[in-house]
This record gives sequence, C-alpha cells and structure tokens, in this order.
Amino acid sequence: MPSAEEWDEQREARMSDSATAMRHLVGYARPFLGEFLVVVGLVLVYIGTQVVQPWLVKIVIDQDLIVRHPQFRAILTIGLVYLGITIVGLFSNFTQNRKLQWIGQRIVRNIRNDLFKHIESLSVRFFDTHETGRLITNVSSDTNQVSQFFTSFLLSLIQDGATVLFVMGAMMLLDWKIALVSFVVIPVIVLISGLFRKKLRDNYRYTRSRYSRLIGYTAENLGGMRITQIFHQQQKQFDQHTELNERYTEGNINEYRWSVRFNRTFSALGNLCIALMMWVGGEAVLHRTIQVGVLYAFISYIQQFFNPINSLTQNWNTLQTSMISAERIGGVLLTKPEIEDPKMPVVVRQISPAGPVDMVGTIRFDHVTFGYDPASPVIRDVTFTIPAKSFVGFVGETGAGKSTLMGLLTRFYDVNDGRITVDNIDLKSFRQQDLHRLMAIVQQEVNLFSGTVRDNIRLFRPEITDAAVEQAATTAGADTFIRELPGGYNAWIRAKGANLSLGQRQLLAFSRALALEPKILILDEATASLDSATEVALQAGLTRIAAGRTTLVIAHRLSTIRDADMIYVMDHGRIIEWGSHEQLMAQAGYYRELVTKSVPAELVEREA
Amino acid sequence: MMRTFIVKRKWSYLAGIVAIGAAQFFQVRIPHILGNFINRLKVGGTTPHVILGFALDLAVVAAGYVVAFGLGQTQVGRLGRTWEFEMRQTLFSHWETLSARYFQQHSVGDLLNHSLNDVTAVRQALSMGLNQISQAVFLFLATLYMTIRTINLRLTLFSLVPLVFIPIVIAIIRPEVRTRSRLVQEGLSDMSESAEESFQAIRLIKAASNEAVEVKRFTEKTQTIVDRQMRLVRLNTVFQALVPLLSGIGFTVGLVYGGWLVIHGRISLGSFVAFTVYLSMLVQPLMQFGIVINLFQNASASIVRLQVLLQEKPDIQEALNPINREQWSGRLTVSHLNFFYPNATRPALSDVSFNVREGTTLGIVGKTGSGKTTLLNLILRDYDPPPASILFDGVDIRDMRLSDLRQLVAYVPQDGFLFSTTIGHNIAFANPTVVLEAVKAAALQSKIWDTIESMPSGINTEIGERGIMLSGGQRQRTAIARALIKSNAKILMLDDSLSAVDARTESEILQVLRQVRGEKTTMIAAHRLSALRDADWIIVLDRGRIIQSGVHQDLIKTPGFYADLYRIQTGGEPAHA
Ligand SMILES: Nc1ncnc2c1ncn2[C@@H]1O[C@H](COP(=O)(O)OP(=O)(O)OP(=O)(O)O)[C@@H](O)[C@H]1O
Ligand SMILES: Nc1ncnc2c1ncn2[C@@H]1O[C@H](COP(=O)(O)OP(=O)(O)OP(=O)(O)O)[C@@H](O)[C@H]1O
Ligand SMILES: [Mg+2]
Ligand SMILES: [Mg+2]
Repeated sequence: MPSAEEWDEQREARMSDSATAMRHLVGYARPFLGEFLVVVGLVLVYIGTQVVQPWLVKIVIDQDLIVRHPQFRAILTIGLVYLGITIVGLFSNFTQNRKLQWIGQRIVRNIRNDLFKHIESLSVRFFDTHETGRLITNVSSDTNQVSQFFTSFLLSLIQDGATVLFVMGAMMLLDWKIALVSFVVIPVIVLISGLFRKKLRDNYRYTRSRYSRLIGYTAENLGGMRITQIFHQQQKQFDQHTELNERYTEGNINEYRWSVRFNRTFSALGNLCIALMMWVGGEAVLHRTIQVGVLYAFISYIQQFFNPINSLTQNWNTLQTSMISAERIGGVLLTKPEIEDPKMPVVVRQISPAGPVDMVGTIRFDHVTFGYDPASPVIRDVTFTIPAKSFVGFVGETGAGKSTLMGLLTRFYDVNDGRITVDNIDLKSFRQQDLHRLMAIVQQEVNLFSGTVRDNIRLFRPEITDAAVEQAATTAGADTFIRELPGGYNAWIRAKGANLSLGQRQLLAFSRALALEPKILILDEATASLDSATEVALQAGLTRIAAGRTTLVIAHRLSTIRDADMIYVMDHGRIIEWGSHEQLMAQAGYYRELVTKSVPAELVEREA
Repeated sequence: MMRTFIVKRKWSYLAGIVAIGAAQFFQVRIPHILGNFINRLKVGGTTPHVILGFALDLAVVAAGYVVAFGLGQTQVGRLGRTWEFEMRQTLFSHWETLSARYFQQHSVGDLLNHSLNDVTAVRQALSMGLNQISQAVFLFLATLYMTIRTINLRLTLFSLVPLVFIPIVIAIIRPEVRTRSRLVQEGLSDMSESAEESFQAIRLIKAASNEAVEVKRFTEKTQTIVDRQMRLVRLNTVFQALVPLLSGIGFTVGLVYGGWLVIHGRISLGSFVAFTVYLSMLVQPLMQFGIVINLFQNASASIVRLQVLLQEKPDIQEALNPINREQWSGRLTVSHLNFFYPNATRPALSDVSFNVREGTTLGIVGKTGSGKTTLLNLILRDYDPPPASILFDGVDIRDMRLSDLRQLVAYVPQDGFLFSTTIGHNIAFANPTVVLEAVKAAALQSKIWDTIESMPSGINTEIGERGIMLSGGQRQRTAIARALIKSNAKILMLDDSLSAVDARTESEILQVLRQVRGEKTTMIAAHRLSALRDADWIIVLDRGRIIQSGVHQDLIKTPGFYADLYRIQTGGEPAHA
C-alpha cells in the first residue's frame, strides 16, 4: 500500500491552503450575521455578570466584613443582587447557547448541501480517483468539524476574548501598576501558542487523513464483504483493517497527548501567575499600598483571566481541527468541474416536462481521439455519422473502447481531439443538463437507490406520473415481475437492489431510461444479463415505441443487434468494419469470425 | 460493552482516575493557601520572607496539580482511544461474520455511520467525558472535604444543598435525551446512505441529468438532521443552564450565610475568602458537568445502536461437529431443494434435483429471475439450504466446515466486485502469498494477461473503486482470474460470467476451461448458449423449477424454452438444420 500512501500525502498537500478554504467557508456565516450579533450581545451580558461577581464579594469583604460594625442587612442585599445578576447571566447564556446551536446547525446544513451539490456537479473523472468513503467523511464529519469553528471557536473567541478584556479592565481600575505587572504574562502566552501551533496542526492533519483512509477502507469492504467471505479472506482483510486502524489510533493518541500538553502548559502558567501575584501583591499589602480586598480581587481576577485563556487554548485545538477539515472540504469545493457549461448555450426547447425536446438526434463523430491518459489514446481518430431515428449496433473485443465512445457522447469526458455533434451542434455548445435530457443511457452496472421500485424508475422525479412509470415498466417487460414483488410498485428496494436478480435490476434500469423519454437511447450491454426470450420481448416493446428515437446498442450477444440498420465493429479504439449484418457477413472479416464463434455448440461442430 | 472494556482495563483506568483525583486534591490546596495567606496579611506582622514562602508553596502545589492532571488526562484519553480502536476492530470482525442477508438489509452508508459517528460519540464520552466527570466529582469531594474540615460544616452543607437536584433532573430527562439523540444518529445514517448511493451512481445521475433531484433529496435529509438536532439541543440547553443556576443559588447562600458567620465571629475572614474561592472553583466544572452529562446521554444512544449491531447473530452457523476430510472430490448432489427467501411468499427454488459427477460440467439456463443465482449461492451457503438437500461429495454442506466449503469452490459472481487495489492484488485475492507466476498463469487462462501487460504499471496498476478504470469485460475476466487462481478448488462456478466479453474471447476462455475441466467440476449459468457448448448436462429453470434438462443436442430438438433461445440466438435458423 505504500504507493497509495504517498499519493495520499501528495493530494493532501495539493489541497487548497487552509486560509483560502476557511475564508471561503466563513462566507457561510454571513447570512447569520444579525443573529451572530445578538449572540455577541448576549455573551457580553453574560460576561458582564461574571465579572461583576468578584467585585461584589470584594464589596462584602471591604465594606461589610472588615469594618468594625459589620451589617448583615447589607450582606443580604448584596447576596440578592448577586443572585439576580447570576440569573440574568445564565438566562442570556442559555439563550445564546440555543441561538448559536441553531445558527451552527443551519451552517452545517448549508455547507453539506452545497458540498453535496458541488460534488454532484463534478465530472466523472473526479469520481474515478476519489473514493466514495472519503467523500462521505467529507460530507458527514468534516462539515461538522467546520461548523465547530462557528459554534465553538468563534463563541470562545468572543466570550473568552471579551472576558479577558473585561478582566484586564477591571484590574486596571483596581490598581493599574499591579495590573501592568501581571500583563507581562501576555507575550508569554503568545509565544507558547506559537511554539505549539505547528505541532498540533501537523498531528491533526495526519490523523484526519489516516481516518478517512480507514473509513474508506471500511466502506469498500462493507460493499465487498460477500466476496471476502466467499474467498475466505476475512483474516487478510481484517489484518489490513488492523493496520490502518493502528495507524489512525496512533495518530489520534499522539494528537490528544499534544493537546493535553498544550492545555496543561497554560494552566501551569496561570498558577505561576497567582504565585507571583501573591508575592508582589503581598508585599504591596505589607507596605500598605493596597488593601487586602484588592489583593483578593486581583487573585480571583487572575484565576478568571486564566479560565478563558484555558478555554481559548482548548478551542485553539478546535480551530486547528476545523481548519484542517476546511482544507479538506475546500479541496473538494475548489475543484472546478472539468466539464463546464458554455457561456452562451444553444437553446433546447422542452416539449413535455419529462422528456421530448425539439431535436431529432443525428449524431456525428468527427475524427475523435481520446485517452483517459491523453498519452495513450483509447479512441483513435473515429469518424462516423448516425442518422436520426436509426438503430445502430457496436460490437468489438472487450476493452476496444465501446463504452468509452458512449462516455464521450454523453460527455462524461471531453474529447482530446476532433468533434462530436448532435443535430450538427457541437456537444460543447449544450448545457449539460439539456444534453442529458436528450439522451438516456442504460449501463451494464445497475445503480438502485433505497426507495420504492416506483421511485427508482422515476428517479424520484415528481413530474413523472405513476401511469408513466407503469407504462415504461410494461414496455420494458418489467411489469410482470414487479407486480409479483411483495408490495408491487411500492416494494422497497434495499442495499442497491440485492433482493432482485441481476436481470431484474437491468429491467428496472431499462424502465427508468424509457420513463425519461429520450431522443437518443444508449444501451451499453444493457441486455447482457437478460435471457434472449426476455430480450426479444423487450425489443418488441422498444420498436413499438421506437418511432422518433435514435438507438445505439453495444452488445456482445450478436443476436441483440442483428437487425440493426448499421453495425460498427471496433478494435483497439478504431472502427474497423461497418455495414449491416448481411453486408458484414459477406465481408468475411472480424465480424464474421465473431458470429461463427458465438453460435452454440452444434453449429461449431458442423463447421469444423 | 463500555463496562467490559473498563473492567478489563481497570488498573489503567484506576491509575488515570487516581491521577486526576490527586490533581483535584492539589488544586483545592490552592484556596487553602490563599485563605491562610489572607489571614496572615490581615493579622499583620508578616515579613516578605513569609510571603515568598506562601508563594512558593502555591507554586509547588500548582505544579503538582498540573503534572498529575496532565498525566491522568492523557491516560484516560489514551484509553478512550484504545476503546475506539478496539470497537472498530470488533465492528469490522463482526461484520465479517455476518451473512448475505444482513448486507442486503443494511446499506453501506448506514453501517458506515456506526463507525463514523456512533463510535466517536462513545469515545468522546469515554475520554473527554470521563476526564471531566472525574475532575468534577473529585473536585467536588475535595472541596467538600476541605470546606468541612477547615471552614464550617453547616456553611458547606447549606450552600451545596441546591446541587442535590442535579441527579434528580438527570433521572427525569434521561430517557427523552436518549430518544432524541438516537433520532439524530439515525438522521446522520440516512444522510450518509443517501450520499453514498448518490456518489456511486454518479454516471447514472449525470446521464439522466438528475442532479437537481438528488440535491433536493439530500437537502431533505440534512433538514431532518437540523430539526432533530434542535429538538435535542432544546433539551440539552435547559439542562446545561440548570446546573450553573443551582450552583449560583448555592453561591448566594454561601455568601450570605458565610457573611453572617463572619459577623458573628464563627469563622474568620480568611476562611470566608477561601470559601468563596472554593465555590467559584466549582462553577467551571459544574458548567462542564452539564455538557458532559449530555455527552454521556448521547453516547448511551450510540451504545444502544452499537449493541443492536453487535447482537446480530450470523445466519450461517458453523456445524457443531463438522465433518473433516483430507480429500474431497467435486461430486455435487442436489435433491429436492426448496428455498424461500426470508419474507418471500413464493419459493425461489422448488423441488430442484440434479447430480453433477466429478469433473463434469453442468449448464444452467433460464429466464431472468428464475433462480440460477439463488441456486449457486445456496451451494456457497450464502443462505442456508434445507438440511440434506445439497450434498458435496455425499456430505450435507451444512455439516461441512464453512471454510472447507469455500476453499473448495472457486466462484465468479454475476456482478464481479473488485477492490480498489492493484489488479495483481485483486487476482491474488484468494491467496495473497501466491507467486507472480501463478497470477500470470491465472491471468493468461482468463485472457486478461495481454491487457495487464499493456497497462502503464502492469500488474501494479490501480484499478479504482470497484474496478472503475477497467472495461466491463476486463472486470469480468479479472474476476475469472481471481477464481481460477484457487487451483485446489474442486468446483468452479461461473454465474453468467462471460456476458460482458466478446464471442472470440469467450470461446478462448471456454477452451481453457475445457482443459482444466478434467479435474474440476464446473457449473456455468449463462444466457448465451455459446457459453454452454461444453456442458455435459444442461438444466433449464423457470420460476425456480427445472422445466427441462438434457444435453444440448436433445434440448434443441425438444420444443420448449431452450429451443426458443437457440432459435433466437442463431438468427431464426431452424434448430435441426
Ligand atoms: N475510467 C477509466 N480510466 C482509465 N482507463 C479506463 C477507464 N475506463 C476504461 N478504461 C480503459 O479504456 C479501455 C477501453 O475501455 P472501454 O470500457 O471503452 O471498453 P469496451 O469496449 O466497452 O469493453 P467491454 O466490452 O469490455 O465493455 C480499456 O483498456 C480500459 O482499461
Ligand atoms: N435476497 C433476495 N431476497 C428476496 N428475493 C430475492 C433475493 N434475491 C433474489 N430474489 C428473487 O428470487 C428470484 C430468483 O432470483 P435469481 O437471482 O436467482 O435469478 P437469476 O436466475 O439469477 O436471474 P438473472 O438471470 O436475472 O440473473 C427472483 O424473483 C428475485 O427477485
Ligand atoms: Mg464496456
Ligand atoms: Mg443471476
């Protein structure tokens, strides 16, 4: 795994620097500025009440107790005042707390939504290289960490910062000379934070990236558990998990250890300050420059001073964690979709809400060259034209580039060279959305969502009616088996359709494509898992509704495309033969060889 | 679960908690020193030397506090993280024991959330929570001790009375917090699930320009989380405000009653000062206490979720007295096999019987959903077949050791799942220690070697999640190679595993299989009849029943499903041409 490891580090390094990312994310707080101000107000009230408290005690000491004839009534009054102030303080703290959580929750929600939306907008290539498990940690836990920046760190900054200022002010009021002496501690604090900063950050970054590796691994293995079990590799997979888990835990413990060190350093500093104050203040009392009550107040102020400092340092950890998470999210958010919509897209008119548009569906590939890595092309200089409403087949050796060709047509990837047009308009002039309205693709891998069969067919689109769903399912020949499911169209699909046979899943995918009413229908080995009888029924259904639709079919089972208007034979990224079935059979080329190979046993023997 | 962990580590925990406790006893010395100090100052007659002595005293005590607390915190934090480690290990190994049915009922995103959020929630309670609780408790005890001993018993009791309400309130709101917190976790699970499905189906979503719909669905999930979180927050904040309120009342009592005591000369001014310092020292931990209690309550909801998960029993149980054999032959007998999926109303297989002799090939055809995959999966014991209905070498597979059975079967699934490692690791999956030659041999047999060689990093090429960087046929052939590398398997099962390869490659692979078939029993489920051309016997399934069986030559002549397929696939040429 070392190579993946390095790759990982590199990617983390390449990610946006945290300042930019954070600045970007701070934008999420802007809509809540007003509410934040209310929170700040409440915080100030709360702190005010907190700061007043030692003062009250000082009054008790200096005016009521230390005097010759102490008066209990005065103490009682001050006690009640104290209680009143405490209640006011707590109430504002309580309100503030709720408000802040409410703000924070909405911020996380907004970041999550935007992040999700952004990820959805990224191009397919992004998903080729980013594991789902990691993206999920981004959406689920990194967003949460970032929101702590607003709910924990900002709060602490305001609350503790203000406390520190108040306390400093109070100290200045009491006795500015002693106050100034105690402020020596401030540069020390700054210095120590500076020293710890890098260490804490690095630790956290290390831990986070280990963590998402671990989660990614877990996610993948949950998906492939069946294979692991059947191949009896539980031990091996478990050992790898252990290794990842150990690395993460090690980082995690280390990170924690350092943050404890950091926080304890500050509490040590705080207590040293008190000792210092006793010494300096004690002498001052001795020389009668200050009263005992003042010294008391000073000492409690220093304690009060270090409480927020401690809390600030703890939240400093929060700041670090949210910065790293912000970097990670930022890395995703700042990734530009590789494929962008043109500034001035062609206008595609929508005729009905679900599908039909005002185009016919003529497709042209014009000297198209493409490689996932441009250095090694997978499609080499391919040119062909598909007239509207025709039925075209693609065959060829596995890995020849057939699926890639369809990926180019749907603009999952952009061509490196050449041009693809639909109705003589370059693909790049369409908005992707319009382009995709125009076509539907059924792939060999079927993706199903948790939801009912009905929702899966209509892809959760409200504008596709129940009748349209059932119509599409009937055409695809899926209706029969759907009705046999417990619950029929409302049967719940779990875990990507594991309770259906693969062919049934494919039929659902078919129904889905039909429900979208595309102008161009692309079938990429979409019938590979269907038996021929079902396939024939399906094709009959298709031809019935095929009027006005261009259909592109990739198939290894040659009977699927025997009736095509045109068959293209691909090999190593080129089109090597084309023509109708009869023409190709007459040519005695690759196609003919395929056909001979594919006939069941008896014919082979006959030819042999 | 948490308890057993703590019990197991009781000494380590004890050490950590003792350290934290000790730290609190150090800390409560501080007000004591301060009180004495103030008293001395008030009495007068102190010298700078005495003052310095006090200051140093305090510094030493403070150092003790910092060191002990730091050690204790680190210890408890480390233990919490160790718990997290062990919990993740337990979860993973538990998942490894669970069978197909479980994974069909739970989505990856949902399961993952246990690892993502539940484990973390509990760990937080265990480390941060435990730290702060023990800090608060010890500080409380220490304060109690100090105030009672050095100041005044009644004063202490009076001002602490209000705190008695805290446990009462906890008892009242606890169940509600748990419920609300569970709902939050479920919301998070839902969201992860939705995100996971969506990211994996990205090509579909893009091609159908369904992004907006997906975003809307996701938005609903995040909104649910916000709503549920806020319901939890509302409860939590009330509780969090209540604790300091009670301590505030206590402080007031202390202030007034303490003042009264001073006036009446029952306690010294120094004691009074010390007492207020003690009380204010308690405020912070008590504030924390409210938060920590919430932490624990949220964690207890997560614990319940984890427990539910861990209590799940594997469906497939190892036989009590498994039959051990040195040598197994690849003979397979299926007799009167009936099978219902859980909660299904009609059987997926009914009364299926056949016999496969060692080294022969059985072909299985049938309509979509007729039960081919089900049949093969039963042989693998993905689900348990009824007793004595599937016999391997004369032994009921339920009496075999699960590991034996799975070692003996080489299987290519219908949807060949690949891992996101290198192609070499994927092929060598069944036997990681295998040498390069064996990988190459298997790759050659499944006709993927040429492709591997043409890849930039050859056998070390990373193939992406689920093998996304390979073409469909390449994926399938990798999965075939992964099965073929199990050279000592007795049965080879191909579940429609040649559907994504072209006819030429298919016939080449079949050629290879013909060579190995002397020693291996082979079962091929397929839709393309060309894949069955080598079968010694073919069964045709329909709705879980065998409707036809025989050899190819006979089947094409008998009117029926098989002959129909044949006609379609050969282009309408009459079957007996
Ligand atoms: N996402 C990807 N990243 C990198 N390489 C890829 C990717 N997808 C496919 N390839 C490579 O591109 C080549 C063509 O793949 P493609 O999927 O187009 O083949 P195909 O003709 O559809 O084959 P099959 O019949 O097996 O489905 C293959 O060599 C494959 O390894
Ligand atoms: N886990 C499951 N729970 C409930 N029903 C299931 C489950 N898996 C499959 N089924 C049902 O059992 C029947 C047989 O499914 P199976 O997967 O065995 O079909 P198949 O013959 O392999 O079909 P295909 O050719 O499409 O792969 C189908 O009707 C299917 O809906
Ligand atoms: Mg393909
Ligand atoms: Mg199947």
